[in-house]
Amino acid sequence: MSDTIPAPLLRRPRSSALPALLRRLLLDEYFVLYLTVAYFAVSAFFFPALLDPRNISNQLSNVWPLLAVAIGQTFVIIIAGIDLSLGATMGLASVAGAIVMTSAADKLLLGNSPVWGWLLSEQGGILADQPVAVAVGIAVILVTGGLVGLVNGVFIARFRLPPFMMTLVTLMLFSSAAIWITQSQNIVNLPDGFNRLGSGDLVSVYFGEKVTPEIKRRDILPFVTYPMLISLALAIAAHLLLSRTVFGRQVYAVGNNPKAAEISGVPVRRTIIMVFVIAGFCAAVAAILYSARLQGGRPTIGGGSALLDIIGATVIGGTSLAGGKGKIPWTFVGVLFFVLLSNTLNYMRLSAFHIDVVKGAIILAAALLDVLRVRLAAGDGR
Amino acid sequence: MTRSRLAELLLRNMTVFIFLAVFLYFGVQAPRFFGVESIANIVKQASFIGVIAVGMTFVLLTAGIDLSVGSNMYLSAMAAGYVLQNPALQNGWGVLVALLAGLSTGIVFGAINAFCIVVLRITPFLVTLATLVAGRGVGTAITESFGIEYPPPYLAFGASGLFGIPMPIVVFAVVVLAAHIVLSRTQFGRQIYAVGRDPEAARKAGIAVDRITFSVYVICGLCAAIGGVTLIALIGRLNQTFGVGKEFDVITAAVLGGTSLFGGAGTAWGAVVGSSLVQMVQSGMIFVGVNIYLQPMVLAAIIFLAILIDSLRNGRLEKLRRRRLRPD
Amino acid sequence: MSGAGLSIRGIGKSFFGVPVLTDVSLEIRPGRVLGLVGQNGAGKSTLMNIVGGNTAPDSGDMLLDDKAYGPANAREAERSGVAFIHQELNLFANLSIAENIFITAMPRGPAGLIDRNRLRRRATDLLREVDLDLSPDTLVEQLSPGERQLVEVSKALQLDARIVIFDEPTTSLTPRETSRLFALIDRLRSGGTAVVYISHILADIETLADDVAVLRDGKLVAAGPRPDFPASRMINLMLGRDIDQLYPPHRSAVRDEVLLEAEGLSLPGVVKGIDLSLRQGEILGLFGLMGSGRTELARLLFGLDRFHSGELVVQGERVTRMTPRRAIAARMAFITENRREEGLMMNVSIAENIALASLRALGNALGLLDKRAITASAATFASALQVRSGPIDTQPARSLSGGNQQKVVIAKWLMSGPSIFLLDEPTRGIDVAAKYEIYSIVKDLVAAGSGVIFISSEIEEVMAMADRILVMRQGEIASAFARERFSKASILRAAFGEKEAAA
Repeated sequence: MSDTIPAPLLRRPRSSALPALLRRLLLDEYFVLYLTVAYFAVSAFFFPALLDPRNISNQLSNVWPLLAVAIGQTFVIIIAGIDLSLGATMGLASVAGAIVMTSAADKLLLGNSPVWGWLLSEQGGILADQPVAVAVGIAVILVTGGLVGLVNGVFIARFRLPPFMMTLVTLMLFSSAAIWITQSQNIVNLPDGFNRLGSGDLVSVYFGEKVTPEIKRRDILPFVTYPMLISLALAIAAHLLLSRTVFGRQVYAVGNNPKAAEISGVPVRRTIIMVFVIAGFCAAVAAILYSARLQGGRPTIGGGSALLDIIGATVIGGTSLAGGKGKIPWTFVGVLFFVLLSNTLNYMRLSAFHIDVVKGAIILAAALLDVLRVRLAAGDGR
Repeated sequence: MTRSRLAELLLRNMTVFIFLAVFLYFGVQAPRFFGVESIANIVKQASFIGVIAVGMTFVLLTAGIDLSVGSNMYLSAMAAGYVLQNPALQNGWGVLVALLAGLSTGIVFGAINAFCIVVLRITPFLVTLATLVAGRGVGTAITESFGIEYPPPYLAFGASGLFGIPMPIVVFAVVVLAAHIVLSRTQFGRQIYAVGRDPEAARKAGIAVDRITFSVYVICGLCAAIGGVTLIALIGRLNQTFGVGKEFDVITAAVLGGTSLFGGAGTAWGAVVGSSLVQMVQSGMIFVGVNIYLQPMVLAAIIFLAILIDSLRNGRLEKLRRRRLRPD
Repeated sequence: MSGAGLSIRGIGKSFFGVPVLTDVSLEIRPGRVLGLVGQNGAGKSTLMNIVGGNTAPDSGDMLLDDKAYGPANAREAERSGVAFIHQELNLFANLSIAENIFITAMPRGPAGLIDRNRLRRRATDLLREVDLDLSPDTLVEQLSPGERQLVEVSKALQLDARIVIFDEPTTSLTPRETSRLFALIDRLRSGGTAVVYISHILADIETLADDVAVLRDGKLVAAGPRPDFPASRMINLMLGRDIDQLYPPHRSAVRDEVLLEAEGLSLPGVVKGIDLSLRQGEILGLFGLMGSGRTELARLLFGLDRFHSGELVVQGERVTRMTPRRAIAARMAFITENRREEGLMMNVSIAENIALASLRALGNALGLLDKRAITASAATFASALQVRSGPIDTQPARSLSGGNQQKVVIAKWLMSGPSIFLLDEPTRGIDVAAKYEIYSIVKDLVAAGSGVIFISSEIEEVMAMADRILVMRQGEIASAFARERFSKASILRAAFGEKEAAA
């Protein structure tokens, strides 16, 4: 007998062992909001620079694109799925849109691209310098995102492939496709009209002294920006869709009990497909915000730790991996928490590798919290 | 009935057909591909993926998944490498100590996954996704992303062999044989199949489900480490990207070998067929000169095919199960 | 008499703060069969799960042969000689019969490897004991439900258990298999084994048991030698009151209009050549053994599976390809046999569960929903069916009793305004009082002109409720009985086939 695990560890934690207050706190819908506020207060004490308006403005600009894509992940997790390919979707969509819009491309770098010569040339994309370039470019990005979602959704709904496996495959497929198309290069020279989406602002504040008549651009700190408006509009629309519409109820029903939903006339397959399309669309919105801010189409915008951020922000917000439970406002809080976390980790001068370790641990903690909540809510269970 | 029989025959043996088709295709494209040397090389390369795919088979049999094997390979190879930096250990005994250090690292890594999955009850794919990222983070933080060089005795181990059979193939054969015996001839092995089929029924039947689930992740961790320490003995230098993305190859190999993502079905032999197929495609693409940007896409397509077949097979079995009427 | 066997002393257990067992004390003695009876939810299964190590009690203790006994899991219970044969079988279809029997006790050879020859030999011996003529290497997925049940029994024999618990073992057995099982229990008893036999079939208890224990609402209300417990007394004790009728009086409400008609409906391997018609106000009973194709037929009618050939006419319209949504649009409702898996969203509020099948109708042109209106309308259905619950917009379905859960499922379908009801085992797992309420609801439905297809494996129930009974066997309709020709013997004979009944 390989008695590897001490028996007491395997016993389920008894809910009664938790003090009532802690129990209530853990079960509170906005537990993570309190956690975020508390964490912010404590960190601000150690790192006063956190409160610097420049930092806040900067961090907010990180919130909006992440929020957009996390909204998509929220939909998917509510139906008890997961989409690992959202980052890859962002990369592919960003590249696709940029190829249409760019006004010049370097043959030395991109000459081997499969689209060179018919979609892309030294004079840029097919719509280079055309007035409609921005509109079409954005449309191409959104459609690309939606199509990737459609591919995921169709195979998951129709062939019952496990979502994590299917999206792992598309993660690999579409991120390598984006790299192939661009030969690992960035597509730059995007129209100003597009770039303005990433930096344009409506309310900006200058905190310096008013001695010099000319204020340098970089001293003006934007707070209300286009990305903010776009992401918040997306969030509100998504929230209404989930909470107030027939479709929203069907999404929760599929997440809770797909068999009961099907028998009750919910179009289960179509709902699953729609959810993945929405997720792809949200990733495309994020792709627009990132590409505009970086002023280029990049195959890698959703690479690196974006994968963890997108899942982490959603799960820590409280959307349950078991499906059937989740809200857009929760995800918003989760995104704030994640951006704040990255921010403070940077102040702690941790290397990117250490940050990965911390984020991995945070995701596990979030998942653990989810498991704990389910168990607490169910009482002692069996 | 005959049509569905045929369909089932096709589904069951799909891998063999793909295997032959791929083999012939590359052979026709590049006749050198048929050469003994080339085939021996493929088998040798396949052995690393294969060893880990055997471990993955254990996990998949319980309907779990381990995405962290690539990071595990890196950490295990790194542990072995650090041991060998000690000049006193740059000899045969040192190699043994290094191997033990590497394998223990893999076991610990697997045990961490197992702990999160079994005791904390977090979904396997999320746990191993987190340890995939965190594990590599730990590794690169320790090495500060510098490479590690391995001393000659260790390289000699990598180049060694038994009766003229290269070491990696010997290791692979031993692992497959051991896994086959465990899976088919021990109570523990048969209980793994039971747990994968229906964990709740297994619990009620008196099977220590938690202990079995824990064990399979440890076994998978050990296999990842075996793959890591043997592969690095051939390469001789550990860099930051060692093992990156290997989880794809390993899962593909296991699933192509007939192990189901849905649990309860699969064999150790399958890993041999699956990993050879994966390696053949990879080597073949280099042989034929496929654009390097396209190679990962081809691999992704193969994984896709593998899981699609698995899903069709599983759906078909389920349908058959549902249709079974009371026989006379 | 005390000392030997198992003493259960003052066991108590609560789920979600609701007591399921209160201070239960019971003696299980060697060489005797204890019949354990009680309504569903009375705590029989929980009590036996505690004995079998699957659940830990909150209070009380147990003595096994005068030694403290408190198994942490099923394996410990088995080691102490307690075997539990569950109602839903714990077999693994991907393993062989022999492997299933010895899944936790495989005979081992010198190197710790399974000794396959010994495994096969011992399995063969056990199979002979349960009178099952199969190779031990047969995969369990190839067995019929009855054969699986017997494999499960041989598993208990293998343990050489001192206490064997049977939980509703005969539900999937043919009469011949049942008599085999009874002979086996007899042998166990004479061999000195203590047997606990849980069943709803009181006739079986009367045949088998030496002692009877009756549970009601988690309390032991009576226990003693079997002769003291005639069936009528058992029923009264189970219900806690005298009940004069189990079923509402039958009054035919059948009208002429045909609601649903199937002709030659077939799906290879599932059902073949099904002809049936359902008229307004009619209760059409569908009877058959487990695996005879009843549920599968209902799934075809409702569009959950597609039929390969045949015709379906619903409310006068020909349907070539049915889907659940078309079925709902054609005013059909399907109350499935498995509430937990197919009927309810357990973690969701009662109101949302009730609204689920009517969502499309509840949304406005833009697909927007008015939550308050939904709750209000769900509330009217919940109260019409007398669902006993807290606030329906917050209380999750999982916190309800089985009977109330079933009412929520019915309320869900009533809200969608159907006129054709497919009821699959609508009273399974709910207590007698709630059963009566469900029967009354069904009667009200047909009185109002709906048609009901009533699937059940309880023959008394079908006979009491139906206007007409179709008997299914091996995917076909074996025979049909008009109400005046109802006879238990002939219906059963039709269900089992002549051969079985003759044996």
